[in-house]
This record gives sequence, C-alpha cells and structure tokens, in this order.
Amino acid sequence: MADPHQLFDDTSSAQSRGYGAQRAPGGLGYPTASASPQSAFLGDPVSNMAMAYGSSLAAQGKELVDKNIDRFIPVTKLKYYFAVDTMYVGKKLGLLFFPYLHQDWEVQYQQDTPVAPRFDVNAPDLYIPAMAFITYVLVAGLALGTQDRFSPDLLGLQASSALAWLTLEVLAILLSLYLVTVNTDLTTIDLVAFLGYKYVGMIGGVLMGLLFGKIGYYLVLGWCCVSIFVFMIRTLRLKILAEAAAEGIPVRGARNQLRMYLTMAVAAAQPLLMYWLTFHLVR
Amino acid sequence: MSGFDNLNTDFYQTSYSIDDQSQQSYDYGGSGGPYSKQYAGYDYSHQGRFVPPDMVQPQQPYTGQIFQPAQAYTPTTPQPFYGNNFEDEPPLLEELGINFDHIWQKTLTVLHPLKVADGSIMNETDLAGPMVFCLAFGATLLLAGKIQFGYVYGISAIGCLGMFCLLNLMSMTGVSFGCVASVLGYCLLPMILLSSFAVVFSLQGMVGIILTAGIIGWCSFSASKIFISALAMEGQQLLVAYPCALLYGVFALISVF
Repeated sequence: MADPHQLFDDTSSAQSRGYGAQRAPGGLGYPTASASPQSAFLGDPVSNMAMAYGSSLAAQGKELVDKNIDRFIPVTKLKYYFAVDTMYVGKKLGLLFFPYLHQDWEVQYQQDTPVAPRFDVNAPDLYIPAMAFITYVLVAGLALGTQDRFSPDLLGLQASSALAWLTLEVLAILLSLYLVTVNTDLTTIDLVAFLGYKYVGMIGGVLMGLLFGKIGYYLVLGWCCVSIFVFMIRTLRLKILAEAAAEGIPVRGARNQLRMYLTMAVAAAQPLLMYWLTFHLVR
Repeated sequence: MSGFDNLNTDFYQTSYSIDDQSQQSYDYGGSGGPYSKQYAGYDYSHQGRFVPPDMVQPQQPYTGQIFQPAQAYTPTTPQPFYGNNFEDEPPLLEELGINFDHIWQKTLTVLHPLKVADGSIMNETDLAGPMVFCLAFGATLLLAGKIQFGYVYGISAIGCLGMFCLLNLMSMTGVSFGCVASVLGYCLLPMILLSSFAVVFSLQGMVGIILTAGIIGWCSFSASKIFISALAMEGQQLLVAYPCALLYGVFALISVF
C-alpha cells in the first residue's frame, strides 16, 4: 500500500517548494516561514502538509487496527455466530421459554463444520445473548428509574457487574472442563453464547415485575428458571456427555458421572444467577 | 459531453468512506497516484478512476460538480486551491461536500417509512445532515429545559459504534463507520418531532407512551429499511430494527424524563 509512503512524498514536495525552513532547528527561519503561521489558514504548504500528514496518520492507524484486530478478536469466527435471521431468532426465543416439546437437539453438520444458525435452530448464536445483555442493562435502568434510584453511573455499574459474573462463569466452567478432561467441541464462544441465553429470562422476569409487582416477577422468573435449566441440560448433554449421549445408553463410569455432575452444576447455576442479578431490581 | 456523463454517474459511484477512496486511489498507478497523494483522500482521489484529468482539462475548465472541484486546477502543481485565483474557487458548500438536494432526498426517504429505499443513496457518506439533526434535537431538548447535549452526543457515539460492530458482523459486505453514523443520524428526524412535542405537552401519560412507542418504531423501521437495502441483507430487518429501537429508545427516555 502506498500509505506509508505518502508522508514522505508530501514532505519532500513541501521541501521542494522552499519550505525547508520549517525543518531548520532553532528556528533560523526565513521571513516567509515566520509570517506563515499567522496566515497559515490560507497559506499553501502548511495546511496542505498538515492535511496530508493527518490523513496519512489516520490511514496508518486504521491499517494497524485492521491488521491486529484479528489477533485479539477472531472476526470470521464471530461472523458465524451472527449469521442469523428473524425466523431463527423467533424459534430460539420460543425454545428458551418452552423447551419441553423440542425433540432433536443435535446440531447439524455440513462436512465437518457446524451449519450456520440460520439453518439450524440448535446452533448457538451470539445475537440473542448480546441483545439480551444490552436490553437487560436498559431494563435495569428503567426499573431503577421507576423506583427513583436511577443515575447514569448506576447503568454502568449494572453492566459491569453482569459482565463480571458472566466472565467468572465462563472461567469456572472452562476450568472444570479442563479438570474433568472432557473431549468436547465446546468452544469458548459457544459457552459464552449458552451462558448468555439466561438474560432473556431475566428480562422477562424484570418486565413482569415492573408491570405486575412481586407476584408477577416470581411467577415469570420461576418459569424461566425451570425452562433455562431444562434447555441447558438438554444442550450441554450433547456437548459434554458426547459419547454416552450418542450411544443412547447410560454408561456408569466414574468419568461419566463426573461429567453428569458438571452438566447439572452448570445448569443449576443459571437459575441462581438469574435470581441474584434481578432480585434487587424489583421491590 | 461524455465528460459530463462520467461526472454525473461518478457522483453516485462514490465509495462509502474516505479511507476506501484513498485506498482505491492507490490502485491506479500513473495519473491517479500523484493527485491522490496531493489531495490526501477526500474525493479528489477518484479522478484517476475514469479519465486522466489532463485529457479532461481542455474541455471543461470548471465543471461545478461537488466531488470534483479539483478538476479545474492543473493537477501537476501540488497546490491547494487557496493559492489559485479567487474566481476559480468552487462555492463553499461544494467544497465542503454538502449537497442540499441529496440531504433533502435522504430526509424524504426517512419520512416515508413505507416507501422502498434505494440502496445507492447511502453511497456518499454525508455527516452534514445528521449533524444538523443532532443539533436540532439538542435544541428542542433545550427548549424543554433539559440541557443534555453531552448525553445526546455520548449516546449517539456509543450507539453508532455498537451498530457498526453489529452490522459488520451480520452482513456479508462490511460497512463503514461514516455510513452507519449517517443513516442513524438521518433517522433521528422523527425523534425531533417527539421532543418538540414534549416542549408543549408532557409525555408521561398514556397518550405520551403510545406516541413515544410509535415514534421509536418509525425511527427504527426507517433505519433498518435503509440498512437492509444498502447492505443487501435478507430476512434480517427485524433483527437490525431491534438494536436501532434500543438506541432510539434511549433518546426517547431523554426526551420524556
């Protein structure tokens, strides 16, 4: 790309126009050089050079970000999780509130790679968790506002505390997966997606609590807790207890029992966190 | 008059962002190169795209097109137009790239939510219109006694950044930040109606809630319609409309409370 060279070309041409005085250290300066800062706005070389320098710097910065962003955030992998459409989101939300009638929880594969969420309702996605998280923060702000406890920094506090709990959960589950030595294709992003689904239930509970008071809150939260428990068990069973589930027969080994306990623990942590993060919002 | 045709079509073929243009200009070797380097990016660079300017020079001394003001000047001498004759300078609005006709067209697209949007209208990233709308929104809030310019700017910046990330992840083709900011800014127009209504009447009754919900729906519907047509995303209109609705909901919260 010619971007890194642009700066050099411009300065050399500026110098060739006799503006080398600006480069002289100690400011010996020609009379034109000293006079030009005042009339710099309409003066030719300074503004031109500044413009060129500024834009080349911006272009360089953008290039740097583009080159390095892939090292920290796997953009192409993330794009898979956002390949959703409205039908998928509708069906998934239905599943989150009522997972009892769904039969087949297996993710379909297409030549070794899982199918995009658009085409399979069982695939995890990041759109719903991300939107649910943001909605949760805003609904929390609304709830605090109706109780006259609102201030903008409380919003930030809610957001960061929910994010902190999410991070803690992910790390704890990754650690336990590592300790139990499970051979699973559950990636970190998958895990974040699954753990983010509980925010949907939390939003439902808080909204009902705002509309109908504590009774509504407890009813809806209870329903969502049970639903998310069942949802997590059924989904994680296929990921963590892969071999046993594939065969369909309950294998009684120590390793398998450990995995079952792990799945149960993860699923049970969801309702607890749902209650913990919302009970102070509904009075 | 073939030159004119080139210029007219090129007007709509302007790429999304300043950076895209400056990057594209480097693909053109000889004639495109020096000019793009000299004028460093904003729209002067795509002269090299169609006709070498030294061929266009003798035919049209000054064309009066917004995105090619530099055509009138000898491209070989690296001078900005400040240094040239006063009469040869383009009008100020053309220099700044503010085209009122286009702003009006885009405003009309926002105001007719049911009209199908043309995907190419967002090809020029134009932040002048959105700036005007943001200032008008802040002004109507000021009339209602709420001095909250800071919140408006902060929320719009964060919201634009969030939408930019989301749209880049959700669409096949990427989108530039300027385009996102431009679309979201234009669709702020109905919110100005809401806040000016709030100057006179209080919005905290049932009528106010219904009106607020309607306006939020209108804003997010227009924004998602423009995004869908500009980025060719199918079956995702509601998915794009929801984050827009969240963003405009925060603006509405500022107007109402």
